[in-house]
Amino acid sequence: MTEITNDSEFRAALDRLDAGQQRLVAAGFVKSVLHLCTDERIARVLEVAGDPGASSSTLAEALKTAKATTFDCHTRCGSEGDWLEQAGYFVARAAVAALTPLGQMPGGVAWPAAMSARMAQTSKSIVTGENTAGQESENQYRLLAGFLNS
Amino acid sequence: MSASFERGINAFKEQIDAPVAAFFSSCVRCGLCAEACLFYTETGDPERTPINKLEPMRRIWQQEYSFWGKLASSLGLSRPVTDADLTEWETLVYDSCTLCGRCSMVCPVGNDIAYMIRKMREGMAASGHAPEGLIGATRRAVTIGSPMGVKLPALQAQIRHTEKDLGYSIPVDVEGVDYLLLLSSMEIMNFPEFISAIARIFKHAGVTWTISSEAFEATNSGIQIGVSEIAAELVERIVAAAAKLKVKYVISPECGHAYMAIRWEGPNLIGRPYDFKVVHILELLDELRAAGRLKTSGKETQRLTYHDPCQISRRGGVVQQPRNLMHEIAADFVEMPETGTMNWCCGAGGGVSSNERADEIRLKVFNRKKKQLDQIHPDAIISACSNCRIHLEDGLEEYEMDIPVLSLTETIAEHLLDREQNEGQEP
Repeated sequence: MTEITNDSEFRAALDRLDAGQQRLVAAGFVKSVLHLCTDERIARVLEVAGDPGASSSTLAEALKTAKATTFDCHTRCGSEGDWLEQAGYFVARAAVAALTPLGQMPGGVAWPAAMSARMAQTSKSIVTGENTAGQESENQYRLLAGFLNS
Repeated sequence: MSASFERGINAFKEQIDAPVAAFFSSCVRCGLCAEACLFYTETGDPERTPINKLEPMRRIWQQEYSFWGKLASSLGLSRPVTDADLTEWETLVYDSCTLCGRCSMVCPVGNDIAYMIRKMREGMAASGHAPEGLIGATRRAVTIGSPMGVKLPALQAQIRHTEKDLGYSIPVDVEGVDYLLLLSSMEIMNFPEFISAIARIFKHAGVTWTISSEAFEATNSGIQIGVSEIAAELVERIVAAAAKLKVKYVISPECGHAYMAIRWEGPNLIGRPYDFKVVHILELLDELRAAGRLKTSGKETQRLTYHDPCQISRRGGVVQQPRNLMHEIAADFVEMPETGTMNWCCGAGGGVSSNERADEIRLKVFNRKKKQLDQIHPDAIISACSNCRIHLEDGLEEYEMDIPVLSLTETIAEHLLDREQNEGQEP
């Protein structure tokens, strides 16, 4: 029974996953913060990311859509930021990470997806004023442990 | 920032100092600056030639300060600059110039055209001819302290979450440390992992540092819009924070124009030297590397290239340091053709990215970067400016190029040697 209690264990476990497993786990990280993104395109690409049988062309198309969404969501340099919208941007970024071919991302795709998902929660907490530090990481530890134990 | 045509004309006259007058009188109209400017090369539009962007200011110089110009004016033979002229030039001065300074590099008589555009913007802003996006950013920088409206509680939330992930604290308002770290709002909002990367590197290298809760913003929209009073006020905030915290150094982060503003323009804006030294983060990382305090392990096997942010490399002089760092982490580092001080701008600096009106031309001129990349086919691009990074991603998407864009500081942090696990071993 695998148990993950901190980021060192979390990263080490992620590093042991192959490309397909990293994508599936990353998709799980994105799914848990999907409600923070109002752009419906991300929900659609997430279905592709979470499909173990997705073809490379379908994945490439989904990645393209996810990237386009991040450019539509990001706060441009010098414009007034909206942290709720920014949460959506980080969800889209997490989706981009999940769909990026493993060889293109130094350090794998699941870790950046996890980080972006955490940033989405942080962005929301800036608006709500809740102290949610660490909640999303704990959630990710459980998700990964669940995946490894399944 | 109350503006009027009369105020603008007066501002133009005030901006015409000895260098500007010398530059105008020595221009030989050779047109070399045109071929150095991506807004000209990618559009073919002669209006976008760098020296033409200065035409209203040149006419004012000629009519007010040159013998023949004054004579012609007195005889009614010259056409005064009108508000309509400034309206026409607004898009040339703000939308079609990133202040990248490539034109200044090729001028055979040594005219610093980017310096003059910067001066030109003072007159444009004073006359009410600045883009809405930059006006809003400047207003927020003065009233909130950040052009993007990032307030201290937002930074504190990012810090809290970073601390939780790292398992140790991020120093804020710590007196007597060596370094004060500035951040751009782009980093706080779009790339908060930069804070984590810095914390890990500094812990690894044993650097003492802090963030100031009173002056954390590195950018200076007063310079981009062209209002020296505001630019000076923003610099003064950093100077006051550095004095209060008694730091020896102020670190400019991965933001091009922030470095230009605090390192090179700052002392001139406030009219006195600093009591501290300003270093760009890449300068510091390379110093730490050279001193053996920053050790990395493993190298990326992908084909990596480095995009030089104009204000850091060409205008700022930080050229070799990023290359030293790239060689630490990249087994296959390939330079773009025309690189370092002659690199081509991404097309979004100098306030262009905050100006929605410029979106179309910004993406059009990215074609120049595409041509560079097409010659080397990198697997990933590394850079050191959040604004370049976002725009590179945007441009690559526009031109359907599938190349990830990464931060050099963050990539270095990913390669830090684990000292505990590798004690006694060479990297």
